[in-house]
Amino acid sequence: MTNNLCTEAGYISLNKHGEQLCGDRVEIVDKDDACILVLADGLGSGVKANILSTLTSKIISTMVAGGMPIEECINTIASTLPVCKVRQVAYSTFSVVRILNNTLAELIQFDNPDVIVLRDGQRFQYPVTTRVVSGKTIHESRFPVQENDVFIAMSDGAPFAGVGVEFNYGWQRDNIIDFAEANYHPDNSAKYVAANIVDECNRLYHGEPGDDTTVAVVRIRARQSVNLVIGPPADPANDVKMMNLFFSKEGEKIVCGGTTSNIASRYLGKPIIPTLDYPDPEVPPISKIEGVDLVTEGVVTLSKVLKLGQAFLDGTDTSADWTSKKDGASLIAKELFEKATDINFFVGRAINPAHQNPDLPITFGIKIQLINSLAECLKKMGKRIKVSFF
Amino acid sequence: MKITICIGSSCHLKGSHQIVEQLESLIKANNLGDKVEMAGRFCMGDCMNGVCVTLDEEKFSLKPEDVNTFFEKEVLPRV
Repeated sequence: MTNNLCTEAGYISLNKHGEQLCGDRVEIVDKDDACILVLADGLGSGVKANILSTLTSKIISTMVAGGMPIEECINTIASTLPVCKVRQVAYSTFSVVRILNNTLAELIQFDNPDVIVLRDGQRFQYPVTTRVVSGKTIHESRFPVQENDVFIAMSDGAPFAGVGVEFNYGWQRDNIIDFAEANYHPDNSAKYVAANIVDECNRLYHGEPGDDTTVAVVRIRARQSVNLVIGPPADPANDVKMMNLFFSKEGEKIVCGGTTSNIASRYLGKPIIPTLDYPDPEVPPISKIEGVDLVTEGVVTLSKVLKLGQAFLDGTDTSADWTSKKDGASLIAKELFEKATDINFFVGRAINPAHQNPDLPITFGIKIQLINSLAECLKKMGKRIKVSFF
Repeated sequence: MKITICIGSSCHLKGSHQIVEQLESLIKANNLGDKVEMAGRFCMGDCMNGVCVTLDEEKFSLKPEDVNTFFEKEVLPRV
């Protein structure tokens, strides 16, 4: 069965202060008919915890994705995990969020803080059944999903944030739910929701987390296409063909580059209205063309978008300022990183004589490389990407 | 009078932003806000030179350090 929904997952981890490895681990398996996210928190911290959680998350995600029952997953983990010499146990907690066909949610939880579910931005009390499997108490839930459902799984580093520093008992689950509700916006990506909460944890820890802290988010959303055209076709005879294909696509339209904007303006019969506002002096001002959602300069702006994307992806930018900034690069970032699930790039191969000036750090090669790197980066964010050259 | 400044890639890298800022502050300092209009514009096809600027329809090619001279020699006499 198909619907217009899709499942998006993202996470952010903070290492315990002074540790180089994180003892929490998130595995995401994205298949045609299911999306599975496993968050495991290994006993202790550092390398030992990292090994335990890596094994646990990998085994569970692979087995659950393969349709194995949870009993077998747990037995496999119990007989595979190395036993801690100090504590004589092999132990890693885990939370599993599985979304089937974008219609049904299944939660399997063992000893992590309970998964938070927001429905239409409000806390949602989901049904839970409890049973004991191989001596472990497992909480299971199964319920149909709706558009904009948000599932927030976390390691116990999140509710521990601020213990003894900001609060007596840490940042409790209810406080986290209040925070998530207050910051809820239906357009926020899974990764952004996770980053937002982790950023707050880090603040409560005063930048020195007392435990590995991970937040992983799964979100149910409607598919949304965004189309971006950059560069004129190698043969000007293909201008109209390129524009025909671009403007016939469903979804948002972004036009990048001066010459490309001229072609779009000619094609639509609407003037370009430039602005001179510099919300960020590094990024050239945006323009407007009626019928186009966003018009920006080309390579300089997209280089900035790529930088933002890479920082967001590798977790170095948990504040994600681009969600509120108004410069061309931030606006494109918001469209591509948050709004889009499917992105179509239309790339013209024309060589811009202006860019052949050896004094300038832009060349034709860089434009193609830029698009390829950006496409790679967006794929890692879970987007479906199509690049067409003209 | 209308001053347009190219905000294309090439001119951006050569300093459009500084030129826009300097011109805006010169216009403000001389109280010419209601007489001089500033606008952006995409590539004017003269990328091999400095930042492309037009004064009404006349083309100029500027570097950020030329702005003061340009303002005194070209803008002020025409106001």
